[in-house]
Amino acid sequence: MTLAMEPALKDDSRLVQETLAGSQLSYQKLVERHQDRVFGLVRHYTRSAVEVEDIVQDTFIKAYHKLGTFHNQGSFSTWLYRIAINTALDFLKRLGRSPVQAVEDPEDLGRRAVAERNVHAPSARLEREEVARITHRVLAELPEIFRTVLVLREFEDRSYQEMADCLGISIGTVESRLFRARARFKEALCRHHPEYGIDGKG
Amino acid sequence: MTMSCRDAIALVSSYLDGELSEAQAGPLRAHLLDCPDCREEAKHENALKRWFQAAQDPHAEAPPGFAARVARRVFSGDRGLQAPSRASSEAGSLLPFVLALSAAAAVLLFILSIALQGRDRPAGEGLDADERAPWLEEHERAPIPVEIGSERGDR
Repeated sequence: MTLAMEPALKDDSRLVQETLAGSQLSYQKLVERHQDRVFGLVRHYTRSAVEVEDIVQDTFIKAYHKLGTFHNQGSFSTWLYRIAINTALDFLKRLGRSPVQAVEDPEDLGRRAVAERNVHAPSARLEREEVARITHRVLAELPEIFRTVLVLREFEDRSYQEMADCLGISIGTVESRLFRARARFKEALCRHHPEYGIDGKG
Repeated sequence: MTMSCRDAIALVSSYLDGELSEAQAGPLRAHLLDCPDCREEAKHENALKRWFQAAQDPHAEAPPGFAARVARRVFSGDRGLQAPSRASSEAGSLLPFVLALSAAAAVLLFILSIALQGRDRPAGEGLDADERAPWLEEHERAPIPVEIGSERGDR
C-alpha cells in the first residue's frame, strides 16, 4: 500500500462511517468515487450496456446493505470488487448464461499441465477493436475462475495481494490460477486463431 | 549463472506482472541475459501481455446522475434486483408495446380507409348529381324527369 493511497482510503473510510450514520449524500460520494472502475470491471462479464448498468447498480445496492460488515479491513475498492464479481456471476446465472466452471481443480493441477502453446504479440496492423473482440471472445469461453483472475490482473491492474483479498484466496493460489489461466487463454486463442499461434517447444 | 532455468521460468510471469522484489528480480534479469532459452520464454510471456494491453477498453464512465440515483434508491429502502433483471424485462416489455402500437396503427388505418372510401364514393360515382345544385335538380326533376335521365345517359 503506497503512501499516496492512504488519503483515498481515509476518504472511503470516512464516507462509509457517514453513510452508516445516515448520510445519503456521503453514499452518493462513495459511489461517485468508485463507479467508473466498477463499470469497467463489470463490462468484462457482459457487453450489454444495459446489463452492465443493472449489475453495477445492484452491486452498490448490495454494498450499501453490507456496509456494516466492511469494518475498514483492507481497501473499500477491493471489498467492492468482490461484491461486483459475485453480482455479475449471479446475474449471468439468472439469465442462464453461467460462465463455464472449471472441470478440474486448477489448484491441484498446479503448474504441471503446461500448455505448449505460445502466441505472437498482436501485429500493429490489427485494430484495437479487433484485438479487443478476439480477446473478449476467448476470455468469455474460459472457466469463470480463470477469466476473473485475468480480468483483475490484465485489465484492472490489480496486484496479487489485492486479487487474493478480493477473491478470498492465498497469493500462491493467485499465482497458480493466473498461470493456468494464461495457458488456457493461449490455447483457446490458438484454437480460434491459429494464425497467431507459435508452435511450442513441443 | 546462479539461478536455475526452472526457477527462472517460474518467476517470469511474476516479474512481468511487477510482483517481484528487487532482490528476486535482479538474479532473474541476470539469468535472462545469459540464457537464450529462458529469454525466449520471457518473450512469449510478454507477447501474451501485449495482447491484453492492446485489448484495453476505453476508460469506462458511469452514466450521468448514476450515483445520485443509486443513493436515492438505497435510502428509500430498495434492496436491488432480486427478481429477474431489468435488462431482460425491459427487452421483454418492449415487444408487447410494439405489438400494441402496431395493432393500434392497423385499426386506425382500417378506420381511415373506410372513412376515406365513404368520402370518395359520392365524389366518384355520383359526380353528376353532386355537380348539379340541389335547387336546380329539384326544379328539373319535377317537370321533365325523363330528360335528366337521358342527359345522364348522354354523358
